Amino acid sequence: MAIAEIQKVQILAYSGLKQDFLSSLQEEGILQIEKADYENLGLNMPSTEVSHLDHLLHRLTNALEYLSQWEEKGFAKKLVSQKPQIQRQEREKVLKLDYVKLLEKIEDIEKKKNDTLLHIRFLEKEEEFLSPLMCLDLPIRLVAATESTEVILGSMPFSSFKELSSKKEEALWVHVLSQGKRTVHLLMVYLKAERESFEQLFKQLGFYPLYFTEPMLERAVSQDTVNDLAEKLRKEKTISGDKLQALENEGKDVAVYREQLMRIYDVLLNERGKFLSSKYLGETERVFFLEGWIKTQDIPRLEAKLQPYAELIQCYFRPPLKDEDPPIVLQNPSVGKPFELITKLYGLPQQGTLDPTLPLAPFFFLFVGLTVSEAGYGLLVALLSFLYLRFAKPKGGLKQFLTLLSVLGVATVILGTLVGGWFGFPIRQLMVLDPLKDPVSFLLLSLGLGFIQVWFGTLLNMISGFKNKNYLRAIFVQGGWLVLLPSLVVYALTKHSLWGILALVGAGGIVFFASPSRNPFSRFFGGLYSLYDISRYLADVLSYSRLLALGLATSVIAMVVNTLCQTALGIPWLGWLFAALIFVGGHLFNLGISFLGGFVHSMRLQFVEFFSKFFQSGGKPFKPFELESKYVEFM
Amino acid sequence: MALGLTLAILGGALAVILGGIGSAIGVGLAGQASSGVMSEDPEKFGSLLLLVALPGTQGIYGFLSSFLVILKLGLTGGTLAAPNVFQGWQIMIACLPVAFTGLVSGIHQGKVCASGVYMVAKQPKDLMKPVIMAALVETYAVLGLLITILLLNGISL
Repeated sequence: MAIAEIQKVQILAYSGLKQDFLSSLQEEGILQIEKADYENLGLNMPSTEVSHLDHLLHRLTNALEYLSQWEEKGFAKKLVSQKPQIQRQEREKVLKLDYVKLLEKIEDIEKKKNDTLLHIRFLEKEEEFLSPLMCLDLPIRLVAATESTEVILGSMPFSSFKELSSKKEEALWVHVLSQGKRTVHLLMVYLKAERESFEQLFKQLGFYPLYFTEPMLERAVSQDTVNDLAEKLRKEKTISGDKLQALENEGKDVAVYREQLMRIYDVLLNERGKFLSSKYLGETERVFFLEGWIKTQDIPRLEAKLQPYAELIQCYFRPPLKDEDPPIVLQNPSVGKPFELITKLYGLPQQGTLDPTLPLAPFFFLFVGLTVSEAGYGLLVALLSFLYLRFAKPKGGLKQFLTLLSVLGVATVILGTLVGGWFGFPIRQLMVLDPLKDPVSFLLLSLGLGFIQVWFGTLLNMISGFKNKNYLRAIFVQGGWLVLLPSLVVYALTKHSLWGILALVGAGGIVFFASPSRNPFSRFFGGLYSLYDISRYLADVLSYSRLLALGLATSVIAMVVNTLCQTALGIPWLGWLFAALIFVGGHLFNLGISFLGGFVHSMRLQFVEFFSKFFQSGGKPFKPFELESKYVEFM
Repeated sequence: MALGLTLAILGGALAVILGGIGSAIGVGLAGQASSGVMSEDPEKFGSLLLLVALPGTQGIYGFLSSFLVILKLGLTGGTLAAPNVFQGWQIMIACLPVAFTGLVSGIHQGKVCASGVYMVAKQPKDLMKPVIMAALVETYAVLGLLITILLLNGISL
């Protein structure tokens, strides 16, 4: 019905054209390349090497990530910002910029910046080390052991220091450099002769020795004290800070190339795709061979594209063979297009079977409308998705989803007005049925819709039976159900014997033709057993009662929100504020859960109740060889 | 009849309590799983939130039924209904379908959603498939809600 016709295409061409030819294919994006059967055709497998491109792409990703810090930020801006665009045919021109040099520059800036940052952190550490020693008025280089004395810097807990000062040691001179809350920094001089006993004592007191580091000693020339050294560090830090600022500016200057680098990334990405796809080609010395699938309607486009090389290329087209499994493209008029999303979610139909998209569309439309049944929410959703589509111009899956959402929003507005309300307030003049007052009628409506869809599914099964030339089964079994089900319902309602007879006729068809067996007994009993399927039909129809439950749930919650608002209005002074908050928050919450529930359960009704009647999934999606993009958009 | 009223209120309370327990456990299970996945891949928050929120509907169904009971009894204001003991029992029993289906299906839907979370971790494009699986479990809570609404609607005070 709505599966596009696909043909096999086989192309032979002069090898010199390979790159140009693949570029043209990539630009058009209408052909899916299949792997050539090298062995049977006696062809060589082309070697492909893309690691240099991988490496470049990796470097570009890093550079772009680095430059992204100068990107203009802001949520609203991001929401509606559009990707930079490139003309398809002119994409190679982008590579004219000497991007390798640019990359090197960016990498250099990034590296220098990191080094400077590290250096600053190192200087800060040193300053921190020196800060308690500021009172040491000696040149740093002199804080070293002499012939007979040991000179040592360090810190110890305050309590230990008190213990130390209470002991009168002759051979120890202690000078307090600074005194914190818990620790004391000291300079101590003692006799080398008594080193061992002192070391023992220091250990007991929890003394922690400090030593000037190598770089500090190097920095401190001749007479420099700790103070001088700290001054030097401070100066060095300012210099590094300036350097950092300069690098920052330099980075900012380079950031103007960001968009160009994005373009280059995407162009190279596609070069890589081209190289990779060339491994599906078969080659001889002079000629290459390519096999693939193309939509019949795209063949003229391909031929027009290859016109310039007509003398060097030979194309053959043929319909797929019986044992081939061509990929599937759905093709529906624009009304049904958004609903393809639902079919794709379940799986594509097999070649030669029905596309369920159009048959499910009106049901899905109705079901979502009935389960959400709140016109105000529908209007909001339709409006928001429409505005987003209009201004942000999303592409691909998001676009399809939002289109579907706006269609479903419209459904909700219509059905919500008829059987629900606007934000919990029903408009009585426009309502045809109030599910809260008359749930039984609504239940019958839901079951009635369910019956129609299940019957329709069986009808589609019959049609596909005819298509597969399975006439007997289609007429008697599916036809039998088609007669049996409605006549049984009418008979139960009217008790008119005509309908009873019709039901029996339908059942007869099922009993005698449902079983494929040739043995008359097993055929009869097998057929009788398949009448038991009626319980499945019953269960399927009853499953549609969820339309009522979900529809009611939305209306009741909307009502609850409004009741709470009314209660909140009773609060003195700030009542209106609380009421407004409850109204907005409550209805947004209800909108979220009712759309989620409505969407998911309507989808389930399609998948489980409807598709099980006739649909055969398992088709492979059509994946044309085309331009992919990460950052930019190809025009 | 005060006993009748008490029984009816008990029914409404049971609906919201049991449904709430089911949803709380279900959302908890799915939430744990999704936090685990997000520790590896924080970008998935949006899509996982959907799966975590899904078992929350049972609690809402219970709440909704309970609210219908409140409206029926006129507890929000106006004249208070005075159901007799039988009517009280009727209202209480009418609340049981949504209460018990909500309790059990909430827990099991949570389990399905938790494994769905793991699936999305590996196949981010197939988000809707586990959502549909979870909806299959929810069916029974929806049916329970349906019967509770119909029963409550049928009981006349």
